[in-house]
Amino acid sequence: MARIIEPDLNFVKGVIDAGGDTLKKCYQCATCAVVCPLSTNENPFPRKQMILAQWGMKEQIARDPSIWLCHQCSDCTAYCPRGARPGDVLAAIRSMAIREYAEPKILWSLYNNPAGLIVLFGVALVVVLAAILAANHGMPELEVPVKFSHGLFHGFLPVLYVDAIFLPVAGFAALIAIRGIANMWKQFTTGLDIPEAYKPTTMEMITRYIIPTFKEILDHERFKKCGVNYERFNGHRYLLYAFIVLFVVTNIVFIGADFLGFHTPWPLWNPVKIFANLGAVILIYGSVLLIQNRKAREAEGNLSGSYADWFLLYLILFIGITGLGAEILRILGLRLAYAVYIFHLMCVFVLFLGLPFSKFAHLLYRSTVMVYDRYVTDVRARMETSAPAATVVEEAAAAGEESSEEAAAEEGQQEAQ
Amino acid sequence: MGEGKILVVGGGISGLTAAVEAAEMDYDVILIDKEPSLGGRVAQLRYYFPKLCPPTCGLEINYRRIKENPRITFYTLAQIKKIEGEPGNYKVTVEISPRYVNENCTCCGECEKVCQGERVDTFNFGLGKTKAIYLPHEHAFPMRYVLDKSALAEGDLERIKEVCKAGAIDPDMQPQTLEFNVGAIIWATGWKPYDATKMDNLCYGKYPNIITNMQMERLAAPNGPTKGKILRPSDNSVPQTIAFVQCAGSRDENHLPYCSYICCLASLKQSLYFAEQNPDGKVYIFYIDIRTPGRYEKFLNRAKEEANIEFIKGKVAKIEPADNDDLVVIAEDTLSGKRVEQRVNMVILATGMQPSLAGENIPVPLERDENGFVIPSEAKGMYSCGCARMPLDVMSSNETATAAALKAIQTLVRG
Repeated sequence: MARIIEPDLNFVKGVIDAGGDTLKKCYQCATCAVVCPLSTNENPFPRKQMILAQWGMKEQIARDPSIWLCHQCSDCTAYCPRGARPGDVLAAIRSMAIREYAEPKILWSLYNNPAGLIVLFGVALVVVLAAILAANHGMPELEVPVKFSHGLFHGFLPVLYVDAIFLPVAGFAALIAIRGIANMWKQFTTGLDIPEAYKPTTMEMITRYIIPTFKEILDHERFKKCGVNYERFNGHRYLLYAFIVLFVVTNIVFIGADFLGFHTPWPLWNPVKIFANLGAVILIYGSVLLIQNRKAREAEGNLSGSYADWFLLYLILFIGITGLGAEILRILGLRLAYAVYIFHLMCVFVLFLGLPFSKFAHLLYRSTVMVYDRYVTDVRARMETSAPAATVVEEAAAAGEESSEEAAAEEGQQEAQ
Repeated sequence: MGEGKILVVGGGISGLTAAVEAAEMDYDVILIDKEPSLGGRVAQLRYYFPKLCPPTCGLEINYRRIKENPRITFYTLAQIKKIEGEPGNYKVTVEISPRYVNENCTCCGECEKVCQGERVDTFNFGLGKTKAIYLPHEHAFPMRYVLDKSALAEGDLERIKEVCKAGAIDPDMQPQTLEFNVGAIIWATGWKPYDATKMDNLCYGKYPNIITNMQMERLAAPNGPTKGKILRPSDNSVPQTIAFVQCAGSRDENHLPYCSYICCLASLKQSLYFAEQNPDGKVYIFYIDIRTPGRYEKFLNRAKEEANIEFIKGKVAKIEPADNDDLVVIAEDTLSGKRVEQRVNMVILATGMQPSLAGENIPVPLERDENGFVIPSEAKGMYSCGCARMPLDVMSSNETATAAALKAIQTLVRG
């Protein structure tokens, strides 16, 4: 079947700019798809993705879950005979996929270019300063002992003013994130043609696919399979745990302070506080491990990080350091605490807003693809095994069905090629 | 008519050709080779391109031309120590390693029978052993035994000397240093198989039934370790299924960045060896691109007709062991988009050509490219031919050898 390829050259350029500058060196030997510890016999990657990206076939690539199944172990890059660095190229393709689901796109650009750094932190600074000035009707008093707020309405930066900044930002980010995930799911499932009988109910979806996926993510099962970049496993796991702990305590504090009237700061012996501080320490430790690991891998030549990678790692590190730093300075009674606190809030602002735009979005999309991967693999397996085999006639019918399915799969493959 | 001699370094098919061509133009030629016999890589092949001749076919005629031509002097076990001077007037210092067997040797073979010490058979790429005193191979030139003193067992020397009726054993032979004045130098130093152990994912040396293409030549050669029968090293059984791994080290920045030119053809040729011995056998060739330069595409068609070959477009990047010493080669079949795991009895790695001088420290003002190939230089009066210059087949090697002989003569004529 003849097919006219319509390359999207901007997409190719985008991948090259996002750190995939070695893309065109690939000569399709498929070493990568064999040495990759995460790809499977039925669904090998990243060789196909390399040629789709070379040819600028944006539609096919955006629809391809494999780009998210890649965890950038970089075994492919180590063995690539052409120095095409498939690991780095797939990271760049993911960055472009994040752009696909991002709206407005200008925010993606701000998060993926060094120039955007000034804008983002500038906006964050303006917002935080405006809140402080509004709360205090002018310049705030930098009292000692340091107190960041006196309840909901008073102080340096009262609780409600913090909420006024972060609730809309988090809400906006969540909205774009949900929209992105929904779009992604729709793209994946369009044309999948799963018979009604095999479609799971919402409950089945949760118990069969979503919960096991969460377990898998918590255990970092796929990271464990990585060869070259195995060391990253611990750092990344710590970061995930820290985020979970901090997410929980932030919500507890939010409810406690805003609705139940337990004014912050809470005493150091409070279990929530203890957990929060522990979370901060793990956050710093995890990000330091990841930064060191990434530097080591880059020195070995197995990884070449893009701006987006470093941006996220250092942003998280700064959030940990400024958060813990502001707390310590506050306890020590140093006025510097106010400045550090402002910087901390700016970093958090940039992180929250960046959820669907920065590399942070891999949290959304990789998780979604891992659920989808489980779902499709399971449904396909069930469709194959439950083929009726009671009579010869039925068997023949099943065989016929199977072969037509194969033909369809083949057709899809050709299309992809 | 110019003056001076030509030095040819390397006595393989290219060096032999260059030496004979120059000598038959009435120039004096000194031919040296570091091995105990001339013949080079071609002597190790079962058949060579383009017409699938046995090596004796091309080599023996050249040996005769050397014997009949008083203008050629050749030395084996000879290596260059020093080169001084300029084009037209080079002073070359050559060291001849002791052979410990003199020209009285009649090749009766009695010494080999009584010798107990053994050494790894390098001519057969480690597929077996020879005695400490050995004939380089059946078609050695000069036809004379060599003694590897380091491999001798206790009492061997006495036993060998006793049975040698010709009195050819000379254990006190010393290294000899020779000096030559030459006007031009032809480098015909040839190639060595790329070290297959360097591709850790291909597991060479880890499992016995993974061999290299040059080992396959020796298995198929009538004067080889199995007398020409293609047998698995692990149990000497006849393999029913074999897989060729193309580009094993070639076209790979981590190993040899260039295409070795000959490996695709070698695998097709070896598929014919296999099909001839085992008409029901099955061959799998895993490739990135099948490269058959020039008119050799015809050979691809011939191999497709005469051997039962399945071509899989995808590079083997992993080999796993299976029971019965079988192997599973893993590649992505890029035409179907699925990964295949093919179980076979034996795997042949189509390893590439590395110039012999790669990685060698040579005390000579010689220009080499980043891969070790010799760059010919008219200004220096130094020329290269055959696989010392680039990966080539025998026919093209000979063409470059003739050309190099002409260039060397021109250097002498210009003075």
